[in-house]
Amino acid sequence: MTPDELNSAIVTFMANLNIDDSKANDTATVVTESIVHRSTKLLEVVVALKEYFLSENELERKNALTCLSTILVKIPNDHLSKNECSVIFQFYQSKFDDQALVKEVLEGFAALALMKFVSINEITQLLRLLLDNYQQGQHLASVRLLPFEVLKNIFDRFFVNASSIGQVKRINDLFIETFLHIANGEKDPKNLLLSFALNQSITSNLQNVANFKEDLFDVLFCYFPITFKPPKHDPYKISNQDLKAALRSAIVATPLFAEDAYSNLLDKLTASSPLVKNDTLLTLLECIRKFGGSSILENWKLLWNALKFEIMQNSEGGENTLLNPHNQEKSNDMGEYTNYEACLKIVSLMGLQLYDFDKVSFEKFFNHILDELKPNFRYEKDLKQTCQILSAIGSGKLEIFNQVISSTFPLFLNNTSETAKLKLLIMNLSFFFDSYIELFGKISTDLPEKSVPNNKLAEYKDEIIMILSMALTGSSKSEVTVRTLSVIQFTKMIKMRGFLTKEEVSLIIQYFTETVLTDSNKNIYYACLEGLKTISEIYESLVFEISLKRLLDLLPDYFGENIRVNDEENIQIETILKIILDFTTSRHILVKESISSLATNLNTVAKISKSKEYCFLLISTIYSLFNNNQNGNVIKEEDALSLKRAIEPKLFEIITQNSAVRDDNYNLTLLSNVLFFINLKLPQGIHQEELDKYNSIFISEGNIKILNAPTLLIIPYVKILSAMNKSCIFPQKLNILTETIQLLRTHGSIMTETEKLGYLELLLVLSNKYVPENNVIELLDWNDLSLINLEIMIWLSKGLVMQNSSKSSETANNFIGLLSNEEIGSFVARLFEIFVVNISSLQKFKGINWNNNVKILYKQKFFGDIFQTLVNNYKTTVDMNVKCNYLTALSLVLKHTPSQLVGPFISDLFPLLLQALDMPDSEVRVSALETLKDTTDKHHKLITEHISTIVPLSLSLVLPQKYNNVNVRLIALQLLQMITIVVPLNYCLTYQDEVISGLVPVLSDKKRIVRKQCIDTRQVYFELGQVPFE
Amino acid sequence: MSEFLNENPDILEENQLPTRKEDRAKDLFLGGFSNETTLERRRLLLKIDHSPKSQVLQDIELLDKLLSIRAPPELTSDEDSLQESEEEFMTSQNDEEEELDFIDAQEIYDLIAHISDPEHPLSLGQLSIVNLEDIEVHDSGKQTEMAEVMIRITPTITHCSLATLIGLGIRVRLERSLPPRFRITILLKKGTHDSENQVNKQLNDKERVAAACENDQLLGVVSKMLVTCK
Repeated sequence: MTPDELNSAIVTFMANLNIDDSKANDTATVVTESIVHRSTKLLEVVVALKEYFLSENELERKNALTCLSTILVKIPNDHLSKNECSVIFQFYQSKFDDQALVKEVLEGFAALALMKFVSINEITQLLRLLLDNYQQGQHLASVRLLPFEVLKNIFDRFFVNASSIGQVKRINDLFIETFLHIANGEKDPKNLLLSFALNQSITSNLQNVANFKEDLFDVLFCYFPITFKPPKHDPYKISNQDLKAALRSAIVATPLFAEDAYSNLLDKLTASSPLVKNDTLLTLLECIRKFGGSSILENWKLLWNALKFEIMQNSEGGENTLLNPHNQEKSNDMGEYTNYEACLKIVSLMGLQLYDFDKVSFEKFFNHILDELKPNFRYEKDLKQTCQILSAIGSGKLEIFNQVISSTFPLFLNNTSETAKLKLLIMNLSFFFDSYIELFGKISTDLPEKSVPNNKLAEYKDEIIMILSMALTGSSKSEVTVRTLSVIQFTKMIKMRGFLTKEEVSLIIQYFTETVLTDSNKNIYYACLEGLKTISEIYESLVFEISLKRLLDLLPDYFGENIRVNDEENIQIETILKIILDFTTSRHILVKESISSLATNLNTVAKISKSKEYCFLLISTIYSLFNNNQNGNVIKEEDALSLKRAIEPKLFEIITQNSAVRDDNYNLTLLSNVLFFINLKLPQGIHQEELDKYNSIFISEGNIKILNAPTLLIIPYVKILSAMNKSCIFPQKLNILTETIQLLRTHGSIMTETEKLGYLELLLVLSNKYVPENNVIELLDWNDLSLINLEIMIWLSKGLVMQNSSKSSETANNFIGLLSNEEIGSFVARLFEIFVVNISSLQKFKGINWNNNVKILYKQKFFGDIFQTLVNNYKTTVDMNVKCNYLTALSLVLKHTPSQLVGPFISDLFPLLLQALDMPDSEVRVSALETLKDTTDKHHKLITEHISTIVPLSLSLVLPQKYNNVNVRLIALQLLQMITIVVPLNYCLTYQDEVISGLVPVLSDKKRIVRKQCIDTRQVYFELGQVPFE
Repeated sequence: MSEFLNENPDILEENQLPTRKEDRAKDLFLGGFSNETTLERRRLLLKIDHSPKSQVLQDIELLDKLLSIRAPPELTSDEDSLQESEEEFMTSQNDEEEELDFIDAQEIYDLIAHISDPEHPLSLGQLSIVNLEDIEVHDSGKQTEMAEVMIRITPTITHCSLATLIGLGIRVRLERSLPPRFRITILLKKGTHDSENQVNKQLNDKERVAAACENDQLLGVVSKMLVTCK
């Protein structure tokens, strides 16, 4: 680079600085490269800048030095020779007095400090310069940052690598003094982060720290507890947490701080703000962890006294938190532990550190604490905290655990018949179980039998089990709390790794099973259920053997037969089935075994006359077992296959031969759905074979022949067909479809409703998954307006609608056209509901895509298709009957459409809804009211605008009239109540008296549930605008 | 008189209060059922699965719905005939279709048991200040006849100064909740309070109750007691 080029580069740089910084930067890079390639010397740059340096203009001097510093930063560390370094250093030093240039000079120093050939002498000078001539208070935060960087660079350059140890000794103290000087009074968060980091580097690497420890500590601790709220657009993204963590790790960096840290932190512990307390406690915890045993030895008494006070005063929750562990919510601002937890953690860690440091001191520590706490056992005062402290200490180490257990348990482990004492005892046991789990871990499925070292708790095992089982089985049924606690502790013991033997677990399972059967209290029921579920995670087969088998065996052959467990006589079949349903969920073996065993029961029961109810219960349980475990792959392909072999023949026999099932609509439908589930899960490879088999059983061979004459057995056929793979070859499909239509047309009038429904559903299944849409469209006969044909067409179209077929909007429109027909319009309006009802065997299941062509969003499309037309037709019609049909159709569709889909249409829909409330049809009213309730929830403004219409309308709906059935009245009352939450008070107050007096007749409604809601609604209106009393 | 009848009462858990024993199946399924088995079946289902949202139940409801969809539409929109049929409906059919739930002691108990005690964080039911067996209801169920509710409350101590306030709370709650044909009488249980007669007089004196309700601050205290009502 020639001198001219250099000059022009410098001019370019200075011209662009602060205007186009990236251009300036590029120019600096060019110059730097030329220096690196030795075609230019750095000194030449200085010379070229000389004039600017001498300029009167402050800005020019500033820019010139910026130019030099920018280049310097870019030059590799080892490029400048010793001589060059020295010269440049002198140069910068000479500029230090110029107040305008402090920032640039410091930038230059920061770069120089990293240079390889800069000498220790120059660094010494630099440090002196900073110490003597730099006044940190006079500069902005961005300038104050630079000295920290200079020091950091010096530290990185000299103190990190051991080669310069000899040199370092000379500047060691100076470095610390300089740091103390520049760190003093800093308050910018970004600078503080650097300051804390440097402080930590100093205390952990430099020598002579002990001489400076007070100052170094003070410059840290004066910030404690640090709080910082980042401004909205903070470019540095520094969080309060970063600062806290940096400060904390600097404070605990050296044991030299220990004494100061403990006394100062204990001072801060008296703060009233829980957040400050939390910060203090977590820092204390870190101190204990880092400073080690010797420092604890000196301070444990002080610490213990302070923490004891904290723990005893601020216990969190009592019995309730233990009974409902899920209700505990942690505040987000707190660190990883709450204050209370942190205190316990500290005590625990103190014990552990002391034990590792010196066993004798630990003895002293522990005995001191134990002596202080002992009276609590005698007077039953603060027992919970006492046990938590002791168990926390115990969770440190096996040896400590043993010592804690053997010195504590004799103090409180005495069986007692006093309920209050027993309750305390069981609750206190729980903490020691926790510390066992903390020490040895939870039981897991992979290694349920993995052994744990011998420990003292195991010696008390028999006694504990005895106390708990007495509490559970010996106390009276009304002692709900004690019994629930006992169940919870049993469950906890199960979780403790290596604690219980298989026999003991079996015993507990037996207790739980008996309790769950004989106790009607909800808390106990759920506690036992939770326990059984926990056990079945590890010991599924044990639970099956001991609990499930027993439950299943208890099921009698006759409904109403007495079931005995222990001395309880009247255990209901329903209870047993409910328990089976509740605790088997998602447990593979349990679900499968329950299904097959219940099917066997069903086989026996169905043969007995008058057993419809019992059959119904069994069938619904089997159905629910399938349905509840549909997702999550609990029932796998091979299970389906083995279930099919084991129970399908039985079920099939029951369906075809036993009147208890066949002549009962519910039983028949539900059991057919069970067949659906079994076949749905079969391996896809055998679907074809199965389809062919069933086609011959039901249609071509045998004596069922569903297409020849109406029969109820159409229902199992339809359900099985719904489960089959849609890509199976099914050559007869079109024939079956036309024959079914024919059968419906000719025999429609003599079929039972159930039979007809079965055949109609067959049309739906065929049109949805087997027959091509064109064939379906051809079969629609729009000229035949007989009721049966309308139904046939609706069901066929539903198949198309559900697959979002392109033809479906056209068919839907044809149906809308029929609504204006005087004779059949009202019937068609009711049929609209069929389009959107959910048929459970035609839904999507997770992980299965072969069973049907149902699109998830079909309702959305359908609603979009019909909405505008219905609204327009409604507006243009004058005939009230026809208007009514449109509204009915719309409301019935709305009833099954998720409210979020309705949202976009709400402003068009709203006037119609209000009119629908007047329609002479209670279902329409219910549907309109439901939609209004959703609207009230989401569109506050709209409701407020119309409140003058809604309130009187609702008031007319709460009175018993022909079309105001219980549902209408109830929802109208709920709507009135909701309005007060959504609509501004000044609007509501206008209607206060009207509503209160309008609801008086409803207080004598015939239905209790309506009266109840009316009272609640009235109460809300009574309190409108009332000033809350504090 | 100094016999303490309800001092240091055993505090009952919320779920230990007496409740209506019959299952809630009917309440959950509001639709009028023409068919008794339908209701019976649903009741059975609720016993094995407490959620009214279970798939089995939905399937059964769907089946009923689809089976009844063909029932002849009840649309007669001629205004006059509508009026006529409505009146007829009111007088005759309604009585048959909607069975009457009587207002009974349990219902009254449910109304007042959850009122908070003014000085404890507990409800009147939990403190046994109101008891199911101390509530009497005389009601023929006919809209045109007068009916009566008589409640005897048991203060926790015989000189309980808040007995009147508790009584007032109960009275306000019941007056807001019962049809006007009910006469409400609130008495202290015999022998449970030092100034039994005075308090009884005060509680059942219309003028004085009305005057108390004029006082905004007092009404505020009462409202606070009523917040916990379910």
